[in-house]
Amino acid sequence: MTRRDFLTKWLAYALALLPVWWLESFVCSRFTVWGVHPMLLPLAAVAVAVLEGGTAGAGFGLAVGILWDAMTPGVPGFSVVLMACIGLGAGLLAQYALRQDLLGCFLCSLAALAVIDGARVGLRLLWRTAPAAELFSLAGREIAWSLCFVPLVYLLFRWVFRRVPKATVI
Amino acid sequence: MKDFLKNNGVLILIAAVLLSLITAVVSYTFGGVADPITNVFGVIATPFRNAFHAMVSWSEGVYSDTFERESMEAELSALKKENAQLRRQALDVETTKQENERLKTLLGLRQERQDFEWTDAKVTAHGSYNWAATLTVNKGTASEVQVGDCVVDQYGYLVGVVSVTGLNWSTVRTVVDVDLEMGGLIARTDEAAILEGDFALMGQGKLKLTYLPEDAEILPGDTILTSGLKSGDEATYPAGLVVGTVDQLLRDESGMSDYAVLTPSSELNGLEQVFIITDFSQN
Repeated sequence: MTRRDFLTKWLAYALALLPVWWLESFVCSRFTVWGVHPMLLPLAAVAVAVLEGGTAGAGFGLAVGILWDAMTPGVPGFSVVLMACIGLGAGLLAQYALRQDLLGCFLCSLAALAVIDGARVGLRLLWRTAPAAELFSLAGREIAWSLCFVPLVYLLFRWVFRRVPKATVI
Repeated sequence: MKDFLKNNGVLILIAAVLLSLITAVVSYTFGGVADPITNVFGVIATPFRNAFHAMVSWSEGVYSDTFERESMEAELSALKKENAQLRRQALDVETTKQENERLKTLLGLRQERQDFEWTDAKVTAHGSYNWAATLTVNKGTASEVQVGDCVVDQYGYLVGVVSVTGLNWSTVRTVVDVDLEMGGLIARTDEAAILEGDFALMGQGKLKLTYLPEDAEILPGDTILTSGLKSGDEATYPAGLVVGTVDQLLRDESGMSDYAVLTPSSELNGLEQVFIITDFSQN
């Protein structure tokens, strides 16, 4: 793959991230289902990791993490590290344990969302800011509503994946 | 021919006079109905007249298509542009009208609370993060907005408190956010308590009033104001801002104390414009 191909490919993925970001920030933020908004950016990181593998997934996860960090309140930099790890993990899981398809993406997304919300619940339990039942209820609703968007996000990135240059195998 | 007229001229004249008389009588008798000659002539002429009219119309159409189409298209395009411009103007007028209404309401509040310094801001994003309730506004440090500044709507109802500031943007933590904690005051009885967010209530757009005095006389419908105190005794927020009204009174899990569930007075989900209190008199 030439340098130009490489840049074209990641530019295409970055452009595909824009509608996902727009949907999360400006459309889904206007209404709630089960009292929550969906998390779509982590799904985008997982979808690319499933399609492109662990290393590329970690890189894209890092980029998504920067965007997510800028969008959400919390510990600065935490999302960047977390998303890079999720990208790496999802990529490796899909490559070696699951399949690089919609089902694989769904299972990786479930695991990724569980890790993210697990960290949030864990920190709040540690700081004793709210009762565990309320935290788990919120996390459960958030994961369930977010998972409904997996097919949409996966199909968008698969559409891009089929059109971008692939690595040359010798 | 000359002989014919000479011999029959009188007869022809008589016949012509008779014919005119008959025509006149028939016309008079059947008012509005054409006389037989005109009628016969009309019947014969109608198809020709129709054909001629159709031909003239077709020629006019061809002429219009050929010579006037371009100018008509240009006119149509100009009218479409004008229509779009008028629609935009109408929209601008509507937006300005709404903003004007908000500012007019605020003017009343400004006269009432002359100790406040305000800056107006537009809500640019509603937070999509489920673990906090935030808004993003388009004013920041460049407009002297600071962390901890109170944000109100045009009626003076408390929206929240600025939690992060950028150069030309700020994040506002709304009153239902779980991390917001400030002093509250029951307007009717002047009793103090603590306003705080709650995970279970945040999704419903509500907050709670805790640490109620043991003999607090609080009732559903009571208005709750800011006391001006943060969780400590430091005077951080302006006092007397309307936060919300009491929905119901509940006993906490320990069964030792009561708390009140409040509905914010400000319509947090529909906010478009807010006002940031950048300074106020602590007296």
